[in-house]
Amino acid sequence: MTGLGDLLDEIVVDIDAVLLFSADMSIYERVDENDVTTIVVAEENAANADTFVSLPLSFTDVTGRIRFGLEGALKQNLVAEGDEVVCLTQSFDENEIDTIIRIRADEFTQTGVYDLFANSRANADVVRDVFEVAIGLGKKGQKGEPVGALFVVGDAGKVMNKSRPLSYNPFEKSHVHVGDPIVNVMLKEFSRLDGAFVISDGGKIVSAYRYLEPAAEGVDIPKGLGARHMAAGAITRDTNTIAIALSESDGMVRAFKAGELVLELDPEEY
Amino acid sequence: MFIDWPNIIRSLFSEETAFALAVAVLVLGLVLAYATWRWTHRLMGTTGINNAIEGTTFERTAQRFGTSTAGIFGIVLAVFVYSLTITLAFHVAQVLTVETFWSRVTNVLPQIFIALIAVIVGLLVGDKAKLAIQERLQSVKLPEAAIIPELVKYSIFYIAALIALAQLGVATAALLVLLGAYAFGIVFLGGIAFKDLLAASAAGVYLLLSEPYTIGDEVRIDDKRGIVQEIDMFVTHVESDGEEYIIPNQKVFRSGIIRIRE
Repeated sequence: MTGLGDLLDEIVVDIDAVLLFSADMSIYERVDENDVTTIVVAEENAANADTFVSLPLSFTDVTGRIRFGLEGALKQNLVAEGDEVVCLTQSFDENEIDTIIRIRADEFTQTGVYDLFANSRANADVVRDVFEVAIGLGKKGQKGEPVGALFVVGDAGKVMNKSRPLSYNPFEKSHVHVGDPIVNVMLKEFSRLDGAFVISDGGKIVSAYRYLEPAAEGVDIPKGLGARHMAAGAITRDTNTIAIALSESDGMVRAFKAGELVLELDPEEY
Repeated sequence: MFIDWPNIIRSLFSEETAFALAVAVLVLGLVLAYATWRWTHRLMGTTGINNAIEGTTFERTAQRFGTSTAGIFGIVLAVFVYSLTITLAFHVAQVLTVETFWSRVTNVLPQIFIALIAVIVGLLVGDKAKLAIQERLQSVKLPEAAIIPELVKYSIFYIAALIALAQLGVATAALLVLLGAYAFGIVFLGGIAFKDLLAASAAGVYLLLSEPYTIGDEVRIDDKRGIVQEIDMFVTHVESDGEEYIIPNQKVFRSGIIRIRE
């Protein structure tokens, strides 16, 4: 056993920070007594840690989760580039820590996935709710058929001026917010028709069936993605909004910010 | 209340029967008290009161003494029922003939119990209100905000104490005046403090219902011109190049809106 213990010691020696992907109070207290900073990365700060990165989605994919945690810690200046960080996380079990990973803080290139949630115009809660709606839509589809959808979140005033209606706006004079329980069903029904959903900073669904008319020149998104993604990329370059697109052909949820693809998720994994 | 009972019984039966009847009343009272105790426990379990009061100081104190709020309630009610039957039994048996004393006891007894229950309920509700408000204010990380739940708790305690004292016949006029002044102060000062918010929300209700302008419209309010980004109950966000005006809704209402159409 000493060989194995030595190996583990070697992994955790000389580190600058611990990223704990669990908000469990008892685990936090056990880890935190060392003199390295412990950064809790979780959906809620249940352990009341001073250093906390809020995780907007429960990433099932370990790489995505660590990438998000690292980027958030870097953005909040909790760790510096070049720091050695140990991540305690879950790979198979939902609740128990079963994985120890040692990683350099600048291992991943910055994709802006943390900025997408924390530093967008729209509230982080709204962005998260829209993601959940898109993921739910991608999972179930409309009556078993795969559907596509495009959500444009934040800076709604500008977006409305850079788009035109394709049909009567079903959300006119209504006060529906993403996150309301009824919304999933409504959006699922409306996703059958073409066009984008426009959502304001505070989460109000401003309009459906919008045809986006941004200038698309010079928008660089991966080849092979369709018109919906091109429109998503272009509108985010023209305005301060973010766009979340659900692809009809491959069922992936993709987020765009400032004209670039920031995050790609497979709904089936959530 | 029981004026004629002993004499009626004595005219119908012998002295011994009356005594036996008194003992029977005592036994019946015991059974009744036990039934009350059980019934209270069951009622508090089924109505979910037990869950509602979990975590309050009173419940925790009760548990430290090896009982629970339901237990205390049950005991209080059982004692109440039993004391009533004891008085009745004494009365029937004519063991104590100091009529005036016992009639006074029977008059005071319900008041004491109502006062006791008022105190317990007040303690529970006050604690519960404090916990509920604390939970609400958890996201506000402001140490000064901690005074609000305490204030609510002691206000409720005060009212409960007032009810209990009034039940016991203690002169509470001065305390009532104090309560009145306190309530008036809250309403009056609150009215002044929230004047603008109330005006804004009244205007906001109209704006949300009739939507004279919506998100995406270009408007001018006073001399602030821009695109409407967000409308909520209290404020309207209007954004022009690099500047976002957050305009209280009553201001929108008072100075009117100019919609700009090209």
